[in-house]
Amino acid sequence: MSVLSLDKLVPDYVKKFEPYIPSKPDPELMKLYGCKRLYRLNNNENPLGPPAAALEELSRFKPTGAAIYPSGDSYYLRQKLAALYGLDPDQFLVGNGANEVITFVIKAFCQEGDNIITADKTFAVYEWVAEFSGIEARLVPLKEFTFDDQGMLARADERTKVFFICNPNNPTGTYWDETRLRRFLDAVAGRQIVVMDEAYFEFVEKDDYPDGIKLLREYPNLIVFRTFSKMYGLAGLRIGYLAGDLKVVDIVRRTCVVYSVNTLAQDAAVAALDDEGHIWRTRRLIRAGKTYLKKELDRLGLENRSGEGCYMMVKLPMSDTLAYRKLMTLGVMIRSMTGFRYPNWIRVSIGAHEAMEAFASALKKILR
Amino acid sequence: MGDRTPARVSLKIYLDRRFLRMVTSFAEDSAKAFGLAEPEALKLTLACEEIFAYLCGAGHTDEEIAVEAENGGYYVRLKFLFKAQQFNLRALNLTSTVSSGDASSLEEMGLLIASKFVEGFHFAEDLQHGPGLVLIKEKAYPAPAGTELPEIGPVKDFHIASPGPENLKLFARLVAAHYPDHLYIESFRLPGKVVDMVASGEYGVKLAVGEQGQIAGGIVWRRLGAGTIESFGPYLFNQRADLGLSEELIASCIGQIARTDAIGLICRYPTPELPGGYFESLGTINLVRQAGVTMPQPVYYRELREDPGCRVWAHPDLEDFLRAEYSRLFFTRDIHLARHEGEQRPPHSIFAPQFDRANRQITLRAIWDGADAAANLAQHVKILSAEDLPNIFFEIDLACAWQAALTPALLNNGFSPRLVLPYGGRADVVVFQHRGGE
Repeated sequence: MSVLSLDKLVPDYVKKFEPYIPSKPDPELMKLYGCKRLYRLNNNENPLGPPAAALEELSRFKPTGAAIYPSGDSYYLRQKLAALYGLDPDQFLVGNGANEVITFVIKAFCQEGDNIITADKTFAVYEWVAEFSGIEARLVPLKEFTFDDQGMLARADERTKVFFICNPNNPTGTYWDETRLRRFLDAVAGRQIVVMDEAYFEFVEKDDYPDGIKLLREYPNLIVFRTFSKMYGLAGLRIGYLAGDLKVVDIVRRTCVVYSVNTLAQDAAVAALDDEGHIWRTRRLIRAGKTYLKKELDRLGLENRSGEGCYMMVKLPMSDTLAYRKLMTLGVMIRSMTGFRYPNWIRVSIGAHEAMEAFASALKKILR
Repeated sequence: MGDRTPARVSLKIYLDRRFLRMVTSFAEDSAKAFGLAEPEALKLTLACEEIFAYLCGAGHTDEEIAVEAENGGYYVRLKFLFKAQQFNLRALNLTSTVSSGDASSLEEMGLLIASKFVEGFHFAEDLQHGPGLVLIKEKAYPAPAGTELPEIGPVKDFHIASPGPENLKLFARLVAAHYPDHLYIESFRLPGKVVDMVASGEYGVKLAVGEQGQIAGGIVWRRLGAGTIESFGPYLFNQRADLGLSEELIASCIGQIARTDAIGLICRYPTPELPGGYFESLGTINLVRQAGVTMPQPVYYRELREDPGCRVWAHPDLEDFLRAEYSRLFFTRDIHLARHEGEQRPPHSIFAPQFDRANRQITLRAIWDGADAAANLAQHVKILSAEDLPNIFFEIDLACAWQAALTPALLNNGFSPRLVLPYGGRADVVVFQHRGGE
């Protein structure tokens, strides 16, 4: 047998990188933790599921169609998005979830020696993709739970290629209003790409919350990420997209993997965009869930943060990873936040009322 | 020399006594080149001589090994790497003798003798290079000058910062001045060494700095094993508890390691300032620090990830202990029983030592099962009791059924299970302690 020289084959930045281990499938977890029912409040999934129009589209799918390649560049979805936002279809790139488009952007703009700038306590994938690609991720501490615009600008140098801003931020729910975003974009003045990750865009009801897509004409260095995993309930199909200036998207397209988005996902996404009612129903449910939960958490005397998005943060008087284990035995799955650099905090997705009650009840039990 | 000094040099050589001088010259020259002073370089050379002579006796002259010297900043590490399939691993037992076959003759126990010359000695299994013996000799540092320490009063505001060398030295002095010996590691008494320890990347430090730049407190951490990081502190100097310094220091430490490959954070030197709610108690071990003085050492832990659960092996004699611990700590484990039921076993067991002479401590780990395990263990205990090593531990990795099956041998030799270290190995590790330390 030949000797595998992994040591010589693997770049140092990959050796240093720790693979992310996703949680086991629900039936395995339920067996492991001995619970009969599991409320998934860890991934910010939409408790209402996909919009009715998307469900209908999915039910129309003929299984024999699985033999046919999907549209390699999500042709009809890009047409639909272009019509919706008044842009050119070529200003959109669709990926296998928004995670994939993060990779496209970093690969398109960064090479060895370059860096990206983001926050320390935000969605981890910007940092991960940069690091396992051999690109430095400069992390700027949040200020008052919010992305620190001045701090980020101060960390930039001539090798900074991309700023990643999660707006609203996952997990803190804070956001930059339009004035602050414009001020930041003006200060960057086109020297770097600015990515606004708007994964939770459709959940935000605040008037001063900016719509990144509307700013694309004024700021050609702006790229906006959106996803169908959250509001549109298509997380299991993995589909998300980016929008940007034609020239910018033309560059990103060079690093884009075509055919990575399956037919079901594309068809369901096209249908989902028509269902305005789904957004209102989801927002109503999230509002009610947050109100209920906030009251329960306040009653328990627990510090909590309820910003934008479909989740809340709760600070516990115990290790969050211990709380995860204890809550799992009671059939409630939350996100422990040590990995977000928020030790002893948990993030709980807003679910149906029954799930919120189950969570509140389980929390009381583990805090006794 | 400066930047042109290599961090690592190696020598490939046959296990033949005629090369002994070549190996000792290599060890001595590289030790000096990497910054050890004459006395320390000599001690490392003597340890190297013992090991090589010992390995020559245990191996075959046509067997090739690699000797590797590495500059660790505050120490020099010497590794003896050999090919497992060729080498007589049985020789790794401390009880193994070469020429006389008389296990009671301490003079012939090269490994034990070598361990006395160095600060660190352990067996390591490197997937790339195979098994090896590792010697660590630390550099000598001057005792701190009688510098007067600044008076530090309570701060009103603070921020967390990474220290430069001078603040690091001051922090080390403050820790030694404000805390009893058993709450920090010996090296903290040598400020220059602390600077090199942090510069090596093996240790991390964050300080809480007051509004006037005064050092209000700090926390230290280091990697302990594959998936475990150990923290020291938090240390606070005349600060109010309600300002949240401890919590911020712990949070900053966790923030630094949260997205690394570490699975758990362990704390064996908790100060009274360790904030409640951040750690879980794994249990207590008793450490003999000086003759007749035994101190309980609580062990705290927190997981850095969501626990995925795992399968572990357990001997029936350990099952109750494990179930009680897992239930107390809310760890879900699929426990499978493992025991010997008359099946054939290899004749000879092998236990690898990890010496910590500063703490008069040794930890044994099983690297090979054998029918002689109980007798071998008894022999180890006998020899170690004759040494100045009253704190004897034995760790078994519950990922391995054969290790779990060693439980009766441990219990019958005066060991008792003290705690479970989640994912301390390939799966959870059970730490047994010999009653000598109780």
